[in-house]
Amino acid sequence: AAAPRRPWRLFGAMCLLRLPRITQALEKEEEEMAALMGQIELEKSRYSDHEIRKLEEEERLRRRKESFDDDGDEAPGRTVIMAQDLEDKWEQKFLRFQAAPRITDADKKNDRTSLNRKLDSNLMLLVKQKIGNQELWLLPQVEWQPGETLRSTAERAMATFLGDHIQAKILGNAPYGIYKYKFPRAIRTEDNVGAKVFFFKAFLQSSDLSQTEPKADYLWVTKNELGDYLKSEYLKKVNRFLLD
Amino acid sequence: TLCSCSSRSSWLPQTAPLRGSHWQSSVLTPRTSLPVRAQPKKKKKVDVRREQAQKDRMKKKLRKLEKAAPELIPIEDFVTPLKYSDSSRVRSLPPLSPEETERRVLLLKKWCLFKQKQDEAEKKAIQTLVESQQEALKELRLESEELYQAAILRDEGLFPFERDGPTYTPPIPDYDPPEGKCVDITKVYTQ
Repeated sequence: AAAPRRPWRLFGAMCLLRLPRITQALEKEEEEMAALMGQIELEKSRYSDHEIRKLEEEERLRRRKESFDDDGDEAPGRTVIMAQDLEDKWEQKFLRFQAAPRITDADKKNDRTSLNRKLDSNLMLLVKQKIGNQELWLLPQVEWQPGETLRSTAERAMATFLGDHIQAKILGNAPYGIYKYKFPRAIRTEDNVGAKVFFFKAFLQSSDLSQTEPKADYLWVTKNELGDYLKSEYLKKVNRFLLD
Repeated sequence: TLCSCSSRSSWLPQTAPLRGSHWQSSVLTPRTSLPVRAQPKKKKKVDVRREQAQKDRMKKKLRKLEKAAPELIPIEDFVTPLKYSDSSRVRSLPPLSPEETERRVLLLKKWCLFKQKQDEAEKKAIQTLVESQQEALKELRLESEELYQAAILRDEGLFPFERDGPTYTPPIPDYDPPEGKCVDITKVYTQ
């Protein structure tokens, strides 16, 4: 005999994470500790070849200045490269190099649809969906159809909103969280009490999504900004499986 | 015992002149030397035996060497080159003031507390993640057994998982790296 049909509708939702591209800024204690470690390392170290060369050359320069006032001994034809000159040359080369800025343009404009924002934290995809008669910001979700596993439901959800050419690594077959809610009394029936949304986690592998045409309004937000968009109960359940 | 010695000595091969001398007339005198055939054949046997014995000795030596434990590969980072133990290389810095040592000790204690709090927060986050997953699996089991069984299957494609870690600054778009060849000079040891 078939099992009695449960009154819950099943949904599979995908939490797509763009992993950080730059290192996070150090906290105050970490910076102080790093400075202390550097100092201790310097105290415990020995002179390197470059430093010995530098010290010897400084000694020679000092002696020459003190003993004779003219440097007739050192023939003008022989140009000696000093260690200090090398260091200056290296410093100049370093100053000429321009690295890409850590705070990008998208950060300054607070353009939340771009992926180039907040490069030091995880970004999550939020999509505006119509549930019942409300437009809500949610993690992309799609109803489960019989014959597929929940993981494939979540993949389908990702493909519906972002297209087929997304490369994402889904972390395992098991759901990471669940959000259960009952429908409002107006549409609740015997067979249709409420819905269960199962969340899956995935890491975004492809770095540019210029080829995809988004089907609905979407946002990439960090964990702290989730509170601006998600409802409190939903947010509580989502926050449980986000490590940040 | 004396007679046995003598019999042995009489068996020693005696040289040819006894046979060939004209003083001996009878052919019936007993042979007193080993039958001497063509020279090369005798050498071959002894050579073969000698070569065989040499090969066995070499094989024994090889086996002994193989049994000895393999030489450990030296870790070059742990071995300080001898030129740095020279006293002329010792750095001359002013000694630490008591305020400085005090500051260092207090900083280390603050660091210890900071790291402990960080570790506890991480462990708690992992704990909530695992609990959330367990709750989701429990609810799924209530829903349908086959979906649950599909969910707890091991994902073969997940490991080995490789990813480039974060850098200090993001990559410069359209960067053209300078031309050059990188020659690897690391020392490779074989056991």
